[in-house]
Amino acid sequence: MTDTDDILRVNDLSTRFFTEQGQVNAVDELELRIERGEVFGIVGESGSGKSVTARSVIDLIDAPGEIIDGEIWFDDAELAETVREDAPDAVDGSFVDLLSVSPAVRQSLRGTSFSMIFQDPESSFNPSLTVGEQLAEAVEVQRRASANPRSTKAKTDSAEYSFGNLLLSTVLPSQQFVTEESRERAIELLELVGIPDPVERADEYPHEYSGGMLQRAMIAQALAGEPDVLIADEPTTALDVTIQAQILDLLDDLQTETGMTILLITHNLGVVARMCDRVGVMYAGEIVERGTLEDVFDDHVHPYTEGLLGSIPELGGANGQLEPIGGNVPSLLDHEMEDRCHFADRCPMAMEDCLDHPPEFDAAGSEAHTVRCVLATQSYTEREALPPNYFGDTERPAGDKHAEPAHSDGEQPAERTRTTISDSGGESR
Amino acid sequence: MSIGKFLVKRLLQGVLVIWGVITIMFALRAVSPGDPANLIVGPAADPEIRDQVREQYGLNEPIYVQYVDYVQGMITGDFGYSFQSSREVTAMVLERVPATLELAIAATIIAIVIAVPLGVISASRRNEPADYGATLFSLLGISTPNFWLGLMLILLFAVFLQDPMETYLGFTFPQGRRPVGFGEAVMTLVTTGYAGDLLTWVRHIMLPAITLGTYFTAMITRLTRSGMIDEFGKPYVTATEAKGIPYVLIRYKHVLRNTMIPIITVLGLQLGTLIGGAVITETVFNWPGLGDRLIQALNARDWPLMQGIIVFIALGFVLINIAVDALYATLDPRVTNE
Amino acid sequence: MIPDRLESNLRQGFRESLLPKLGLVLLASILIMAIFAPVLATHNPTRTGYLDENGNSYPPLGTSYTTEIGQDGEFVEVEVESTSDHLLGTNDIGQDVFSRLVYGARTSMLVGLLGTGLAVLIGVPFGLVSGYYGGRVDDVMMRIADTMLAFPSLVLALALIGVFGSAGFGIPDPLTRFGLIDGMPESTTLPGTVTVVVALVTWVWFARVARGEAMSVRNEEYVTAARSMGASNWTILFKHVLPNSLTPVIVLATIQVAAVILLESSLSFLGFSGTTLSWGYDISRGQGYQRTSWWISMVPGLGIVFAVIAVNLLGDWLRDALDPNIEGEGGGA
Repeated sequence: MTDTDDILRVNDLSTRFFTEQGQVNAVDELELRIERGEVFGIVGESGSGKSVTARSVIDLIDAPGEIIDGEIWFDDAELAETVREDAPDAVDGSFVDLLSVSPAVRQSLRGTSFSMIFQDPESSFNPSLTVGEQLAEAVEVQRRASANPRSTKAKTDSAEYSFGNLLLSTVLPSQQFVTEESRERAIELLELVGIPDPVERADEYPHEYSGGMLQRAMIAQALAGEPDVLIADEPTTALDVTIQAQILDLLDDLQTETGMTILLITHNLGVVARMCDRVGVMYAGEIVERGTLEDVFDDHVHPYTEGLLGSIPELGGANGQLEPIGGNVPSLLDHEMEDRCHFADRCPMAMEDCLDHPPEFDAAGSEAHTVRCVLATQSYTEREALPPNYFGDTERPAGDKHAEPAHSDGEQPAERTRTTISDSGGESR
Repeated sequence: MSIGKFLVKRLLQGVLVIWGVITIMFALRAVSPGDPANLIVGPAADPEIRDQVREQYGLNEPIYVQYVDYVQGMITGDFGYSFQSSREVTAMVLERVPATLELAIAATIIAIVIAVPLGVISASRRNEPADYGATLFSLLGISTPNFWLGLMLILLFAVFLQDPMETYLGFTFPQGRRPVGFGEAVMTLVTTGYAGDLLTWVRHIMLPAITLGTYFTAMITRLTRSGMIDEFGKPYVTATEAKGIPYVLIRYKHVLRNTMIPIITVLGLQLGTLIGGAVITETVFNWPGLGDRLIQALNARDWPLMQGIIVFIALGFVLINIAVDALYATLDPRVTNE
Repeated sequence: MIPDRLESNLRQGFRESLLPKLGLVLLASILIMAIFAPVLATHNPTRTGYLDENGNSYPPLGTSYTTEIGQDGEFVEVEVESTSDHLLGTNDIGQDVFSRLVYGARTSMLVGLLGTGLAVLIGVPFGLVSGYYGGRVDDVMMRIADTMLAFPSLVLALALIGVFGSAGFGIPDPLTRFGLIDGMPESTTLPGTVTVVVALVTWVWFARVARGEAMSVRNEEYVTAARSMGASNWTILFKHVLPNSLTPVIVLATIQVAAVILLESSLSFLGFSGTTLSWGYDISRGQGYQRTSWWISMVPGLGIVFAVIAVNLLGDWLRDALDPNIEGEGGGA
């Protein structure tokens, strides 16, 4: 299992949400391989399961969500050694299956092995503590963790976390969980991400920061534990266009400098084009097409990828028009999902074979290029095409892929997919 | 806005409010039917004596002169003389303050000590038996009139548990005095090492404080629970989890702290309920505090005493709320910046 | 007036939790008790003298107690048995406790609903005007509100009653007036002063909520549009601002009914009510008799607790469904 330099291998990952409306198959038997030091992008519309995938990896799935199946193999020789005694089944060479280790071990990996930056920096900081303290807190936790490697007990049992202290911390301005060293390191981190006057800014509160500055601070915070894998969930979506470019540059620089692996979640192919080495296109809880940037941008097979590309202005169709994908993001409710290609109802090239759920086919281009679409093995013929109204009244574009895009359909503009210009503008406009 | 400026602004508002309170109390007295002189000397008194009394209490002056005198008196801390006992109102108020203060503080401490952990448990174990228990308790707590609760506690301790209530719990104080105050008891302990007085004090204050504190315990439990549940749902909690902070630290340092900040303000505003509750609790337990004296003053229509007590209570309310705002401003950095 | 989403929230809350149902059932029972009091009561609640031959009050059905009576110059212990005639016993002056419990619901509900209604009528317009006009008007009005808040409501209520006395006036009871029921009081006393006073000390909470809503609506586009079309301020206030503030006002009103019931019972417990047919007053009747006649104050207290729980359960249900961020003064007393 060690012939390539994978850092993360996700097999058969299924994450479900048990809601009142029914079971939601947010992530469905997902496979993922991420190489050490690469930037892997997962791209898809809202509701495609890309964020849930990321959160499953870092173990931030909250009720009513649950990872019901799968394996997440993480390459960490040191961790493998410590885990081997307790759970030999969870270890394979230098790989550890994160879904088979104890919750305490998983928790201990947050910050040190995995960390995450979020879409909205303003709501991702505790409003009543200074930015510096929140960074220092992360530093401190990691410092203690590395002092007692993998000993999660040390983290929770230490005197500083006694109940009395914790209660006191609710009333007192609580500097007691940070030390002078962790504070200094926090200031270093702020400097590293390009925040001017880091010493003064460390003592400011989140609301005194601009959105871009706060996103930098969040990146600094994510770097506090020197993680192996940084998960960036829509890191630029909430920011102004000019700021977006700066943040991406920063991530790029930091990645080059530290060599960390980045799992980038975005709905913006512009961001992918700029940042990623490889990319997976996600739809309805599964990756429908994956490969190198060239594979996906130039040699794509899946009509959904085609549609996504069509919806970016600068990469758009011949006439430069924005072409949103017709129809709505699919329901992921278990009882509403049929066993077919989930995109078929929106696909302009749906055929009879699409009524079977397609496996992953190898596709032209690089070795890594695979696609979950029958078009990889056969070409589109009118004869086998499904009639336009096959899936009821969902507005499915007609057979010709150059047919009028849904937005000029004019009948149900409000129900168009959410992939519209404001969503996918990207920083390069 | 700096915190100093913020406080100055709140103080000025407080002065206005106190002035409003004084004015309302004066107006109420002015529209009150009946000749106050009758209350002092009785309706059957000699008209000459009555006139003398009117002169002495300034009741013959035009209304605006009376008002100015009244406000002036209040500012200098001169609340006038009681109609009934002819004693200085200021002294009559001040001698009753410690008892009420001790009761209110004891009740608040009981409430916070029980309610915060209860609310935390309730919020962290949502929809488990502990949560249902806490929810039921707090529903009962906010729905029970405290005078009735006090009577039921007396019933429980004194009748069903067969405690000799007069000697042990000491609900009634025949001379209108408590056997011992907190200050004296502590002094005795410090100077002589005798703890008996303090124990007596604890025994006496126990039931009244529980009675007064139950409503607040229930209310703070509810606020803590719902506040923490709200707070747990905020994105920063996930973000904090993502950076590897242990769960206990998130729960107390981040979530509970942020929950308590707005609760402090609510508590400031609910102080009126606490004082109102103290009035009636004191009546039930014959606790010789301000509330007990207020009821006496009302029954005797002793206006100066009544006004003195109410203005004093309002003053306390306003000052405590300014303190609460200052605390709030230091805990929540966003306040002074708005 | 209530948007669809809120309606579905209400339905969902009702479906999923037992508590709103319990609240509704409780409140309905208490309302039925209040309305049909003459039918349900077993005795005239004001008639005294239901005592045994030694002048002792009867205990609730199934219980008994011992007491001492003077006989031939010395004290003798006697056992007082309950009687099926008086389900919940009688009080110290021999009034039927059950009948008084039933009639007490009338006073509580009347004062609770009328007092809160009056507080809405005072507080909401005050708050709307303050929030809508803003500026100096708002400053002055809010200082007035702050001043009102500086009085603990029970204390202010006591002061007002101290000034105005506590008058009550009779509302004829149709059930007895038209001869449908015999032997019951012909009218119910509404403690008028108490009702007004209760409104006077609680309206501020409505003013605060209404003000907040008015301030948030003031700058909405549709209000600006209405203004640009030449709508007068009053038209805007009533057609746009008022409907928007109704949801939180309804929730607050529900919670305040509970607070008002508690306040009324406190006032009547202290003897400042306009009627003696009140749960609070009945509790005070039992104050000296806990050692033997515990039921005299326990029964009416339970009446208050159930009534307030009922209202609070409904209030929680509304608040959870409509989720306005409001606070009101608790009853506490």
